Amino acid sequence: MKRYVRLYLFFLQFSFSKALEFRIDFFFRIAMDIMYYVVNIALFKVLLLHTPFIAGWGDDQMMVFVGCYLLVDAINMTVFSTNMWWLPFYINRGELDYYLIRPVSPLFFLSLREFSANSFINLIIASCFFFYSLFNYSQEWSISSLFGLVILLINGSLIYYCIQMLMILPVFWTQSARGFIDLFYTLGLAMERPDRIFKGWLRVLFTIFLPFALIASFPARVFLEGADFSTMIHLILVSSGLWFIVLYVWKMGLKNYSSASS
Amino acid sequence: MRWWRFVIASEVRKILAFRADFWVTFIGQTCIQIFIARSLWLAIFEASGKTVMEGYTIGTMTLYYLIVPIGSKMLTGENMGFLSREIYDGTFNRYLLYPLSFFHYKTITFLTYSAFYGLQLAIAFIGYQLLFGQLTVNEFIHLSYGLFFFMIASYTYCNISLFIELISIWADNIWSLMVMARFLCFFFGGAYIPLSFFPGPLQSVINFTPFPYLISLPINAMMGKLHFNEMILGLLILLGWSVIFSWLSRRLWNKGQYAYSGVGI
Repeated sequence: MKRYVRLYLFFLQFSFSKALEFRIDFFFRIAMDIMYYVVNIALFKVLLLHTPFIAGWGDDQMMVFVGCYLLVDAINMTVFSTNMWWLPFYINRGELDYYLIRPVSPLFFLSLREFSANSFINLIIASCFFFYSLFNYSQEWSISSLFGLVILLINGSLIYYCIQMLMILPVFWTQSARGFIDLFYTLGLAMERPDRIFKGWLRVLFTIFLPFALIASFPARVFLEGADFSTMIHLILVSSGLWFIVLYVWKMGLKNYSSASS
Repeated sequence: MRWWRFVIASEVRKILAFRADFWVTFIGQTCIQIFIARSLWLAIFEASGKTVMEGYTIGTMTLYYLIVPIGSKMLTGENMGFLSREIYDGTFNRYLLYPLSFFHYKTITFLTYSAFYGLQLAIAFIGYQLLFGQLTVNEFIHLSYGLFFFMIASYTYCNISLFIELISIWADNIWSLMVMARFLCFFFGGAYIPLSFFPGPLQSVINFTPFPYLISLPINAMMGKLHFNEMILGLLILLGWSVIFSWLSRRLWNKGQYAYSGVGI
């Protein structure tokens, strides 16, 4: 464990020096993420001009929800996204070999090697908006419920990572350039919507099989409306189930990996 | 056979190289976006207690969000974003050696993708009308207007993209600038919410930018919401923006050739 922490600190050091190599790009990327935040906030602000509630949430509740998914997005952009971007290239070019022969878990190495330094600035900005939305929320809340929310959002980030992995890992079999990552980004829209808008089979899809609703909407709902036993059990079962599926598909993928480039 | 036919053939081969992946992504993305957007709008219609909002019923809103994902792909093509990498590794040199115009080459490759997505859009539109609407001569006329406007909008967006991409001669990496352009285009173009939902003063400001003409105009043409004079005006504005960005990118190209080292890293 200690070895992995030390290794991760090296990753951070390396990533920051690499990011500052391209300073203009560094600032462009910060501006890009800020624009993404503004667009998302504006989207719900415009919609709420035409209706008092969306899925039972008014303006300040919706901003808490938006703060939640922007925070999860920022965590993923900072910690995982660059690594996920490169993974299909490594698989297709046969460069995975270099990671398989190292004396550390290849999944750990490939998932966390690149820490996105510019997105870290955005993580701070997203956190500021997250806390701003919480302080603007008209109802009382306690430190313990905030702590619970943060834990659930970290769990949400891991769910996001797992689903993203499941969309990339088919590259082991298809040898396509990006796997189903474009499909993943489209599916990501489900994370940016309150889960109560989904009904019927769509609700089953987004809460169990592709659990995007568990990433930010469930945590926001637990914070805004209080936790209930069934929701917590649902979160634990789906999150752990998803993690086991990722590990299984990863192992199957490695078995299928020929090492030859394509 | 002229050179552009070879370029188109090569691009089509690239598009169809991973067919299963291509069609799964197309069908998946389109269906998912419709289902998510429809769920959101059903909740909004229900909460507001209205059946028509800003001229849209839930049925026309569904059609709107069928056109948006494929239309957006048609608009933005897929063959952009490589120029900065080519400048970075020095393979940009080939454009200086090719016996053809860099702009023509890039435009043809871009529009090949757009035309392919246009075909998908036509299939999706006809399929939707057969299943949920009606398919008369009018729908075919609207479809052809929509496709025509999307192709012109793609050409305009291609010029905007080229302008941004050529900045990479000085700025190393402009991927984030391209994404920002996409955000602006999609939000102020009406890809996320129809523009009629925006507050009036904001709509007036947006009309001075190219964004509403890139997405909202072709969609409205396809949905039969535009009069002939609105279409002509929209077309002229789109072409005007094309000329502006084409001129700007050519200026950058002329200056950039002297700034480009040709070495790569």
